[in-house]
Amino acid sequence: MAAWVKGGAADIGAAVEAAADLLAASRVPVLAGLSAEVSALRAAYRLAETLGASLDPVSGPSVYAELGALSAGGAMSTTRAETIGRADVVLIVGNRPWDGELIAEIAAAAPSRGRAAGSERALLSLGGPQNGAIRHVAYAAESGGLAISLGHLRAFAKGHLAGEAAFADLAKRLFAAQYGVIIYDPEEVGELGAEMLQGLIRDLNESTRFFALTLADPFQGRAAVQLSAWTTGQAPRVGFGRHQPEHDSWRFDSARQIAAGEADAALWLASLPAPRPAWLGSLPTIAIVGEGSQEAAGETAEVVITVGVPGQSVGGALWNDRRGVIAYAEASDPSKTQAETETAAGVLTRIRDRLIEKGVSC
Amino acid sequence: MSTLRLRGDLPERVDLLNITPLALSGLSEAEAGKLAIGTSRRGLTLGDVFEISLDGSDSLVIEGGSSRLDRVGAALSQGAIRVEGDVGQRLGEGMAAGTLTVTGSAGPYAGTGATGGTITIEGDAGDHAGGAVYAAKAGLDGATLVIKGAAGDHLGDRMRRGIILAGSAGAYAGSRMIAGTIVVSGALGDHPGYGMRRGTLIAGSHGTLLPTFVETGTPDLVFVRLLAQSLKHLGAAQASLLGGTLRRYSGDLATIGKGELFVPA
Repeated sequence: MAAWVKGGAADIGAAVEAAADLLAASRVPVLAGLSAEVSALRAAYRLAETLGASLDPVSGPSVYAELGALSAGGAMSTTRAETIGRADVVLIVGNRPWDGELIAEIAAAAPSRGRAAGSERALLSLGGPQNGAIRHVAYAAESGGLAISLGHLRAFAKGHLAGEAAFADLAKRLFAAQYGVIIYDPEEVGELGAEMLQGLIRDLNESTRFFALTLADPFQGRAAVQLSAWTTGQAPRVGFGRHQPEHDSWRFDSARQIAAGEADAALWLASLPAPRPAWLGSLPTIAIVGEGSQEAAGETAEVVITVGVPGQSVGGALWNDRRGVIAYAEASDPSKTQAETETAAGVLTRIRDRLIEKGVSC
Repeated sequence: MSTLRLRGDLPERVDLLNITPLALSGLSEAEAGKLAIGTSRRGLTLGDVFEISLDGSDSLVIEGGSSRLDRVGAALSQGAIRVEGDVGQRLGEGMAAGTLTVTGSAGPYAGTGATGGTITIEGDAGDHAGGAVYAAKAGLDGATLVIKGAAGDHLGDRMRRGIILAGSAGAYAGSRMIAGTIVVSGALGDHPGYGMRRGTLIAGSHGTLLPTFVETGTPDLVFVRLLAQSLKHLGAAQASLLGGTLRRYSGDLATIGKGELFVPA
């Protein structure tokens, strides 16, 4: 554990005291980042409630592209395991799904369960990187981007456009599926594109079975969505300034709040790696970051406290992308005992307790 | 005429939901001054932010504006509110009747969910004017929204009924429109009408068209002449656009495709 106050090394007690002072003096504090284990997220929401702060996960753009479409028209979704076990047609939209092992894993197996069991698996891509290592049929995206392409494809799928176009052929292949899956990253496709894609899936389900496999963001956004829902009944961008959780995806966008000069103090929570925010250094900030990360240094913020990294130096409940659930991850590095390592939840709780002792409350 | 005079720069966003002539008519100035409008834990009141002068009438003037004045005229059901300056997000949200005028510019989501009355923005409007907020079923829902300057992106997103007039608009105007009419005297940005189901977009010109809009000729429609008549007193620039021959595009064919876009032929 290491901590710094105004660039100088400090003990944890002094850093917690400085953090509490900084937050107590603020009018509109924001808790941002939220790339952390579930216990830390829970402690962050409790701290925000005590302080009257708002919260915004670094995964906001991805989370809201998905939730925006979901709240408007629902979604027909499946899991990674069901895709590998059942899908005979898989459409991969954009570049992001090709990162990691997912597509290689899907390509390596054939459907083994359900109505498509025993048939060949066809991989199709729309606007992908033309990966030559995995056999698939590639379709180029429109110049306007993926959302425009998905709309164009849907017009062919509905029969509103016809002809010899590439998308007519792609639509025919989709309708020929017995169990189809479309894989996409909501941030890459955007909210409009995600809604269009879910509409396409609804159209395909008129005559066959089709689902979406939506990629999770890599910064615990889905865990934040669930925790915020069970804690506040709302999506993650919530503010407690008026004694109750208010959701407003525009007002509580932390980057906007800071750029507009509305927020006057920030707490950046990233016990797991997350992209460094551009606003760091532009307002009084407390950084609670994973030990060994690039941000674990005195110059990162006014107050910096390093904490255990969940799944490495401490255990913690994390979003498990493979299973699509929140699951406990043991500490992988047994060289330190839990007692030697501060957890993000522990630090946040100490800051909150200190604020309560000071009589600060929303 | 009651007056709220802004005392100075706002230290935080304030929420003027329910600060309407009707709500203030039964209150003394001292009582009105205690109404909570702050959004931070500091608990700002109406009296902290404004000098208040009330006469019980159905007309309210807010002297001085700020991009941090949220939900001005939200849920207005009668009377008139005039803001001499700018306003923040959700101007006239859920408004049912009355008139709302802003001499400056408005933030995002102006007129969202408004079912009746007239909202006039003499300056520019931010993104999603007449558009739906997160998880809402619809944007503008029956009211009339007049933007004399430029509107941002996503003008009339998921709009359900009513009329929007604007000087120009950004990208994705009329996206996901359920129904209603948008008339823009100047240019629309790229990709107007993305995902629109029904509704009418009329504009002086447009950016890149979606591949899912198809030209359907230059019909001479009685509807356009009737619309021009009804727009005469709301927006002369928009009404004059309807005088000549219009080229019609039908879309968005990715949906049920009953929407239409008209531009001068």
